[in-house]
Amino acid sequence: MDSSLILSNVLTPPVLFFFVGLTAVLVKSDLEIPQPIPKLFSLYLLLSIGFKGGHELHESGLTSEVASALIAAVAVAAIVPVYSYFILRLKLDIYNSAAIAATYGSISAVTFVTASSFLTRIGVDYGGHMVAALALMESPAIIVGLLLVRVFINREKAAAGGEKEAFPWGEVLRESFLNGSVYLLVGSLLVGLITREEGWNSVKPFTGDMFYGVLTFFLLDMGLVAARRLKDLREGGPFLIGFSVLMPIFNALVGIGIASLLEMTPGNALLFSVLCASASYIAVPAAMRMTVPEANPSLYISMALALTFPFNIIIGIPIYYQIIQYFWGLA
Amino acid sequence: MQTVKRLEIIASSAELPKLIEKLDAAGVPGYSIIRDVAGKGQDGRVSTDSDFTSSALSNIYILSFCSEAQAEDVLTRIRPVLTRYGGVCYFSDATKAVV
Repeated sequence: MDSSLILSNVLTPPVLFFFVGLTAVLVKSDLEIPQPIPKLFSLYLLLSIGFKGGHELHESGLTSEVASALIAAVAVAAIVPVYSYFILRLKLDIYNSAAIAATYGSISAVTFVTASSFLTRIGVDYGGHMVAALALMESPAIIVGLLLVRVFINREKAAAGGEKEAFPWGEVLRESFLNGSVYLLVGSLLVGLITREEGWNSVKPFTGDMFYGVLTFFLLDMGLVAARRLKDLREGGPFLIGFSVLMPIFNALVGIGIASLLEMTPGNALLFSVLCASASYIAVPAAMRMTVPEANPSLYISMALALTFPFNIIIGIPIYYQIIQYFWGLA
Repeated sequence: MQTVKRLEIIASSAELPKLIEKLDAAGVPGYSIIRDVAGKGQDGRVSTDSDFTSSALSNIYILSFCSEAQAEDVLTRIRPVLTRYGGVCYFSDATKAVV
């Protein structure tokens, strides 16, 4: 294993500022970022990612390679929650298992951009269509998570002689496709696609040049939030702590296998594996809070934010890339 | 000076539109809303730091002054709403000092 790749990933401003935030809470510093700022920056990051992706998707066009990557993305986002659910059911109830399963089936946009910054730094190209894959992977996991709740709760109720509950399709589809982060990401992607090169150039100082700085600042806040969430993990015990680290590795390997079958380029393969490995802490928690209020948000948010996210951005990304280098015959 | 009921509701942000609808239906003369409320309740800690694109994970606080009959009506209407996502509602006596 090439430890210099991991070290060079850690010694970058976004990751180091993540540590600065994390440490601030651990040493009880009074550092605080007013809530509207992280919210503004997360909206900015989603807008910029979507807009850049739309612009690049227009450049690349809808080729068979793009189409196969997008279909694979939707399929993985729908399948990951199913096997995750059955693993989680070993220790948890139906509601919490389904909510956590949906969290791990969906994606983290900030992990994705950290991986794309990593590729830019080491000079590896990737396709703009991977942003479309990112946008497409948010919603299926939410729908599958809610279907799992409904199927297994109804089965339990039927066994107990109770009445089945109807599936609230309207509420589920609204939360899956119209929740803030999905809506903004898809909307920005479409704007980028429609406005093409001219549109991109007109807002590039905002959506392009400022991006890395905003990502760095956002990760400072993420460090603070992740550290505050660490103690909630104790509630979940060793099973959920293990799940938060082992599941991303397993999902990344699934992603690398699929990327290999589809003959993706190494850059696209890394982004695809990171999408498979990451867990949502923006779209899914908000959707689950609205549709599965019985599940405990401190479990699914803490797992995704306090363990899986840091694991992926610090050591996951360089490790996944080394595996890709090995299988693609680049190492 | 007139004696009125002070009505306080702390509930999930997700239920704000429904709660407003119930308050209006009960005919309360007015209400104030504080958004992004954090703290700890029966269902554990509530924080605003994970509300990245919406307010779905934090709470709201509603304050209203109304007659006793209106307060009872509000309670009947909001009980089912508060049951699903959790939430609390308190009444207390207040005196209307300045109109």
